[in-house]
Amino acid sequence: MLHLLELLGSSALATTLASTDAALASAPAAGGGVIAAPMWASLIVALPLLGAVLSTLMAVMGVRTKLPALMTVGLLAASFVTTLALFLQLQGGPAAGLKLYDWISLSWGSGAGQTFTASFGFDFDHLTLLWMLFVTGLSAIIALYASEYMSHDVGPGYCRFFFAFNLFVFSMACLVMGDNLLLLFLGWEGVGLCSYLLIGYFYRKPAAVAAAKKAFIVNRIGDLGLLLGILSTFAVFGTIEYTKIFAIIESGVLPNGQKLAEHWANWVIPALLTCGAFGKSAQLFFYVWLPDAMEGPTPVSALIHAATMVTAGVFLIARMYPLFVSDPHLIVLSVVAWAGAITAIWAATIEMAIFDIKRVMGYSTISQLGFMFAGLGILSPVGASFHTFTHAFFKATLFLGVGAVMHGFGGQLDLRRLSGVAWMRGFGLVGIAMLIGSINLSGVPFTAGYFSKDIILADAFALPHGQIWGSTAVAWILLITAGMTAYYTFRTYFRVYAGPKEFVPGDDAELLELGRHPKGVSIEEWHKQHGHGHGHGHSHGHGHGHDHGHGHDHGHGADKTATQRVDFDPTTEEFDPHPPGAAMKIAIAVAMVLAIAAASLYFIGPKGGWVAGMIAQSSAALPESVATHAGGDHAHGTFFGFDPHKVMYYVSAIVGFIGILIAAVLHGPRGWQGLFVGSRTQAEKSRADAFVTLFGPITTAARNKWYVDEIYDWTIRTPLLVLGHILHFADKLGVDGLVNLAGQIPRGLGRAFQTGQRGVLNGYALSMAAGIAVLAMIALLAST
Amino acid sequence: MNLLSIAPTLAQGPMPTEMGGATLFHYLLVSAIMFGLGLIGFVTRRNLIIMFLCTELMFQAAGIALIAFSRFHLNHTGETFVIFVLTVAAAEAALALALVVLLFRRKETLDASSWQDLKG
Amino acid sequence: MLLALIFSPLLALLGVVFAPRKSQVKHIALAGMLLPLAIVSYLLLNYSSWSGTTASSGRATELAVSLNWFPDIGLKLVLDLNSGVSVALVALTALLGPLCVIGSHTAITTRVRTYYGWLLVLQSAMLGVFCARDVILFYIFFEFTLVPMFVLISLYGSTNRKAAAIKFFLYTFTGSVIALAGLVYVAFVNAKGTGEWTFALDTLTQASQRLPAGTQAWIFAALLLGFAVKVPLFPLHTWLPLAHTEAPTAGSVILAGVLLKLGTYGILVVAIPFAPLAAIAFAPWLAVLSICGILIAGLICWTQTDIKKLVAYSSVAHLGFCMLGMFAMNVAGVQGSVLYMINHGLSTGALFFCIGMMYERYHTRSLKEVGGLAAKMPIWACFMVFFAMASVGLPGLNGFISEFLCVMGAFQAGDLWAAQGLPGGTAGNLGPYFAAVAGTGMIIAAIYTLYMVGAICFGPLKEPAGHADHGHGSAHGGGHGSHAGDDHGSLPTDLSAREIGVLLPLAALCLFLGLRPAPLMNLVDPAVKDTVAIVEKARTQAKATAAAADDNTSALTAR
Repeated sequence: MLHLLELLGSSALATTLASTDAALASAPAAGGGVIAAPMWASLIVALPLLGAVLSTLMAVMGVRTKLPALMTVGLLAASFVTTLALFLQLQGGPAAGLKLYDWISLSWGSGAGQTFTASFGFDFDHLTLLWMLFVTGLSAIIALYASEYMSHDVGPGYCRFFFAFNLFVFSMACLVMGDNLLLLFLGWEGVGLCSYLLIGYFYRKPAAVAAAKKAFIVNRIGDLGLLLGILSTFAVFGTIEYTKIFAIIESGVLPNGQKLAEHWANWVIPALLTCGAFGKSAQLFFYVWLPDAMEGPTPVSALIHAATMVTAGVFLIARMYPLFVSDPHLIVLSVVAWAGAITAIWAATIEMAIFDIKRVMGYSTISQLGFMFAGLGILSPVGASFHTFTHAFFKATLFLGVGAVMHGFGGQLDLRRLSGVAWMRGFGLVGIAMLIGSINLSGVPFTAGYFSKDIILADAFALPHGQIWGSTAVAWILLITAGMTAYYTFRTYFRVYAGPKEFVPGDDAELLELGRHPKGVSIEEWHKQHGHGHGHGHSHGHGHGHDHGHGHDHGHGADKTATQRVDFDPTTEEFDPHPPGAAMKIAIAVAMVLAIAAASLYFIGPKGGWVAGMIAQSSAALPESVATHAGGDHAHGTFFGFDPHKVMYYVSAIVGFIGILIAAVLHGPRGWQGLFVGSRTQAEKSRADAFVTLFGPITTAARNKWYVDEIYDWTIRTPLLVLGHILHFADKLGVDGLVNLAGQIPRGLGRAFQTGQRGVLNGYALSMAAGIAVLAMIALLAST
Repeated sequence: MNLLSIAPTLAQGPMPTEMGGATLFHYLLVSAIMFGLGLIGFVTRRNLIIMFLCTELMFQAAGIALIAFSRFHLNHTGETFVIFVLTVAAAEAALALALVVLLFRRKETLDASSWQDLKG
Repeated sequence: MLLALIFSPLLALLGVVFAPRKSQVKHIALAGMLLPLAIVSYLLLNYSSWSGTTASSGRATELAVSLNWFPDIGLKLVLDLNSGVSVALVALTALLGPLCVIGSHTAITTRVRTYYGWLLVLQSAMLGVFCARDVILFYIFFEFTLVPMFVLISLYGSTNRKAAAIKFFLYTFTGSVIALAGLVYVAFVNAKGTGEWTFALDTLTQASQRLPAGTQAWIFAALLLGFAVKVPLFPLHTWLPLAHTEAPTAGSVILAGVLLKLGTYGILVVAIPFAPLAAIAFAPWLAVLSICGILIAGLICWTQTDIKKLVAYSSVAHLGFCMLGMFAMNVAGVQGSVLYMINHGLSTGALFFCIGMMYERYHTRSLKEVGGLAAKMPIWACFMVFFAMASVGLPGLNGFISEFLCVMGAFQAGDLWAAQGLPGGTAGNLGPYFAAVAGTGMIIAAIYTLYMVGAICFGPLKEPAGHADHGHGSAHGGGHGSHAGDDHGSLPTDLSAREIGVLLPLAALCLFLGLRPAPLMNLVDPAVKDTVAIVEKARTQAKATAAAADDNTSALTAR
């Protein structure tokens, strides 16, 4: 037996060696240069996973403190530090890899492509590190924010929140750092699951449950494309590991000897992958899930649905960029460019019309993702990546600010019912943060958002005709969208944060509890009477109000309605805005500072900034063959005869200012906050109200999101459901009916013979006698 | 061709004189009549006891036929067999009557059709 | 060892029948279920010592048992675990058995002896099927699973149980009688050739493979009919929703967890190796049926309001994936298919447990009457979501591995890859289009699973009328859940320790097999490769025949 073992062991080893050799042989030159990363690099993934496990344990042990949050912040910060350390170690050097174990491994021969391996292994190159830096950094900040934001739910719900939060960071790390496409898929669906769990966090609200479901299902449609893309990749390349794929792409010759440039794989696989990217990043007709995802708690919206998860699509395309540019006609990239541009302007039109400030941010994310996709499409991976990076910080800042408002005003999100928030006690920092976020988003000069958007716009104009189909049109659409972006951003800012102090509290029972008190009693006294600490003391739990608890509140027999609407009676009650506490303030401040600081990256390193340097050293860098045609100093395209790279600084600044100016005229309050052109004196009305009537039904349509949800409902969901019912009916009557019919045959035969078997004893005797008589007769007849 | 017309041909062998002119045919005729009576009784009556007696009648008819043949062939096979049958029949009678009594106790009737459970 | 494995539940049956007190019955039954589990665990831990490190069909292991039964007709009692697929399925069966007993403690309070007795008989029969290496013995075990299941459904089921039990029995019985005809025919042909009757699986497999394609087609059709009803392959599935809905919880778990796998196991171990030529010819059509099952059953799931029926239909869809992988007939597909058998048993079995636990508390399965239970039973809801995600094929959980490999198998198994000289394909007559259409089933799976979870776990709390009193009373008693299991009336609001104990091992396995499938994959790998090798051999043989025929025709035309 031992001999056999040895024999098998050594042969397995030999096979491994042989396959490695084959891989090395098939991967000429550059591809094989993966150095081993230090083992501690796996902490980036392991720490969030540990966080998830510990959160579960805390839930089991019934922890009713903020411990899960503290633990999460600590672990994610440690994960960030690890990433940073790894970045500093690997900076400027070649990519490093780390293999933990083979996740799925299957082989049906020893030849090339007859072994399928998906390992739990990680690639650390400049692209993944760029992504991981902001993913881990922002998640730590937002966990800190959430520690306070979610404190009304301390207990099992709190643990559940941080479980999903940690699991999300783990999945995102797998998605970004995984060294093969299947591990990316694990992360891809993993973040989808966390998104599902977190959108549906307030699981008693039917809207939240529906939104969570929608997000997961719409994503799954894209995921199918991604999965088929992965399978095609394996079929064509014989491997799903990036380094090996890239080596084959670099060599330009597929394992079957055909040239990649002439093979269908150069556009079919990118098209399939793009399908997945569109789903996750809410592009084109996939966008419908993202606005609904705003049903989740705001920290979740900030982290998952603005900064990190939704950029996974951008990451996927950037990761597989070598394959995308291997198509000489760049068909898929043209589609990506157009999809991005159309999505950007489409979402912008909706944003200009709706009143829900959180949804405005949601649509704005879709629009900005459109910019990133357009950037990828017009051969500007640098612009796309830089915009992803800056957008992560300023959009997180904006969301955190919106969250603070929501937290403080009983869940109020309608911009017609909020005004002058920045001037209210305790909201100063929020006002500043929102201004910083808004100027970034609008592209006000010398902000991070300004530089990153500029790169995309300039690269778009600079592309020569024909390289990307209609790139100039894409550029113009993006430029117009930039103006619209400035408008809707400052529309929100001027209405909510500037102007006269005025508000109506929202209808979220738990959040209302933070600030409501009877008339004539100050909030401090009221809270003292009810055993609350004052200020931010709500973290100790405000017993009777919150009913996310589990089981322990059955005794009340209280009628728990779905929406938990609590009538706020203005005649007897007053509401004091509840300002954000220390944790939220710190998180907002840090995010804000980072959003400002991100601008400086543009001046660090080579031309185009630090991110350009990072991208240039990664696989997403444009290959020479493509780069010589586009961008750089050899710009073929011009902007009215000027070099787009120079003139765009001014053009985009002007466009941005025009947008802000229109916002100021229409929505700006009277006085300098409205830049001397505004006139608004109350929360609800602005000049725009008179203006929008000119557009008639168009505004209504935009406000109703162009009825896309309804169209989907009537063209896809309802027909499918009806089909389901029809099939169920057919299954019952048709298929099962046939089976039952077959069952009737023996029954009918039995019935035919039944009459003779009635249990009449005499009858049996008679028939027996008759039978014998007949037999005897036959015997006699036969014998004679 | 009927059964009776064949019967005389069966009785063509020499019969022992002690039988006093009664040939095998006569014994078989008695046996057949008894069997017929038993059968008709079994088929037409519904009283369990009567039906049981009818089966006994048919039994004895068979016994007579066997004895007659035994005598006719001058061996003891038939007689031996009849003795067995009688013994078995006695045991059976005891069993059957016990069953009938049990059935009567259940339904307070001797009507065979009251036990008719099958649907037809 | 194998005899002990199979017959130890029957030993416990004696205990169940003669136990002096009714309350002891479940403990004796549990012991009878744990015994096989202990034996299987021992076997798995010492796998290399008895299997020769690689279990491969056709080679007897040290465990093999061979006793003469009816020597005159060559009937033997042959038991062996020489295939990794058998080992895996035996392990699954041995695991689910004790969990079913534990899970039935409070659900079954009347006719306890009968219930546990038949459960033990069922366990014995199921273990026997996977160990049998003689087709008649296989068939006897196969059919004998019907009787206990019939009793379990018809005595302990819900309202429409009689009809469900009869339909289940007759439908599957009819199918398998036809399969028996196929088996006997092969044995007859073999006996005619060699002059000696035998029913040994290996001998018959080899004999059957030598038959011409036309004969194989009939054999395959007969065998398939029997096994496909059991799987169930669309459109032979209509008994399943009925049987599942009416069966008691443990019955549903075993039905979904193991009994359906008898069908897939039969196809893998008997039908395909017996008639590889026919399997190759029929594969695309069967794959189409599988895909029909995936899509149609999936859409039907979405319209269900009876949660148990929903999961039952989802089994049809899931086994569609399993069959698709099997008929891809390449390593990835068959490997995926075998993993699917195990994984579906774990995740769907667990879902049925969850639903049973809910049913014990609310006595309804209608999504219209009950919903939003996360508010009241958070632990239960966590498990429900977990197993739903395992069943929907979320990467990182077990369902994904098998689903991915099945789809990958279908994707690869096309001659277009070979035609282009691309490395990642295998021979076969499915292809990317099959995979793409089947892949839409993954979207539909997400739709119906999330519909189910969204309705039962999330949303506003909905309880059947008149249940509020129970909830009120038990809220106070919820603290001592661990010993509340004995009395039907005193179930805690959320899961008791006993119920968590049932679900936790399954959850742990789902997670482990999702992240580290290698042990299971290595276990079944040799057996999978053997099956694929048989098919490959037949494929080359068929090609050679076709080429020869071509030569003939061309020679004729030349003349």
